[in-house]
Amino acid sequence: MIMGGIWTLIAKITKNEIPSPIATWSVFKDVMHHPFQNDADQKGIGTKLLSSLARVGIGFGLGSIVAIPLGLIMGGSKIAMKIINPMVQILKPVSPLAWFPLGLAIFQDSPKASIFMIFICSLWPTLINAAFGASNVPQDHKNVSKAFGFSTWKYLTKILLPFSLPHIITGLRLSIGIAWMVIVAGEMLSGGIGLGNFVWEEGFNGGSIAKILVAIIIIGIVGSLLDRCFTWLQQKFSYAV
Amino acid sequence: MSQAPIVAAEESITEIADKILEQTYNPPVSIEINNVTVSFKTPKGLYTAVRNIDLTVRKGEIISLIGHSGCGKSTLMGTISGMVKPASGEVFANGVKVTSPGPDRGIVFQNYSLLPWLTVYKNIYVAIDSALKDISEVEKARLAEANLKMVNLWDHKDKLPGQLSGGMKQRVAIARAFSINPQILLLDEPFGALDALTKSAMHIELLKLWNLDNREKTIVMVTHDIEEAIFLSDKVVVMNNGPEATIKEIVDVPLKRPRNKKDIVHDPKYMEIHDRLLNLLIHRFSIDDEE
Repeated sequence: MIMGGIWTLIAKITKNEIPSPIATWSVFKDVMHHPFQNDADQKGIGTKLLSSLARVGIGFGLGSIVAIPLGLIMGGSKIAMKIINPMVQILKPVSPLAWFPLGLAIFQDSPKASIFMIFICSLWPTLINAAFGASNVPQDHKNVSKAFGFSTWKYLTKILLPFSLPHIITGLRLSIGIAWMVIVAGEMLSGGIGLGNFVWEEGFNGGSIAKILVAIIIIGIVGSLLDRCFTWLQQKFSYAV
Repeated sequence: MSQAPIVAAEESITEIADKILEQTYNPPVSIEINNVTVSFKTPKGLYTAVRNIDLTVRKGEIISLIGHSGCGKSTLMGTISGMVKPASGEVFANGVKVTSPGPDRGIVFQNYSLLPWLTVYKNIYVAIDSALKDISEVEKARLAEANLKMVNLWDHKDKLPGQLSGGMKQRVAIARAFSINPQILLLDEPFGALDALTKSAMHIELLKLWNLDNREKTIVMVTHDIEEAIFLSDKVVVMNNGPEATIKEIVDVPLKRPRNKKDIVHDPKYMEIHDRLLNLLIHRFSIDDEE
């Protein structure tokens, strides 16, 4: 309600340079007319959304598969920490977009380069959080493992992994947030079918600010839904001590 | 001539009888601590926690290590469990030199140390599964069930530790230690975090479990509670204050078992032991006493 009010006010001040909520709503309905249209020259917003989601899913999935074990190893062994940590510290602050040309050079294919970029940027938060979790296993739990002669496998599955899980999920939650932010930028660079492309081609180049607003709203809602999923997971896997 | 075999038989009977008697009065050594010193490296240099400790515990005995906080009683117990490596000297448990923790010694930790993501049942099962490798899954499940029933927690088997009270958690920890059927049971301030009433009930519970097992388990307990030490133990080992703590005195507790909590406090022998321990541990008894 308040947001709608402010929005209307801004539209009034800019003399509808920024379209009002009502005008945007009609464009929204228009855009949503054939959401899953999938013709060669005309793709619906739903198709674009799914294509963006798929890229995020693949990049994020691959990133997590690499980051979780690597993080656990890093947290579990001081030597691994000393070797891997400096690399992480140098690579982490690099803007994900800087990886895009590198991906393009490697894969010679812009959708693959986008996935590569998502893969890289979803590594760090998961890696760091998994390592933090694994390096903080309480001495009490380690003592139980020693006292009852747990095998390495049992230690991993019954102590290290369950203890680190809430931290890992926090990492995943941060990672998916970044991945979702980066995909829009990536698709603006790469073209191809996706939400970023929608914002750039149909919104900006097509001269329709309302379409940009529609895209922003959709991106925001999907992003917050993704975040919700991981918050839910977080609650499910937290435990009282 | 025909008498001879009978005489021989008689001799062997008396021999056997002697052996039985000897075992009853002089049971085999369960734990032997020989001249043990434990030091830790700290930023300020080497810190010696306990020095030149000698202690022998016989099978089926319950002994308490008592002393002020930080006197190294937990450290000393750690050398029996294998969690702490002595700088010099050696520890034998069940006739074998201790080099690492093992399933022949069950440990009940100070803060229960249950795994919070496993149910009560799973906590016990995982311990059995790790410590006893040679028995079947059915047998493991049976052991877990029997031990949980023994501490009356079978109805709570599917709860997580976070849903249990302190006393219940401690019963799970005790059941877990008993479930791997160790010959030696090590209890590190097991009842320290419990309120007085729960604590009292747990003492009886522990002795009941020990009795059920024909009093064959050796129990070493770290505590700073004098009443608890007397009620449970055969011997109370009083330690000096650290650093470089040594054994100050070993006080025998020749009170008959089974002991009754209510009656025992009126026993003159109990009062004498209580006084002795108080004098060993505490030097100021009223505000008029000089430090």
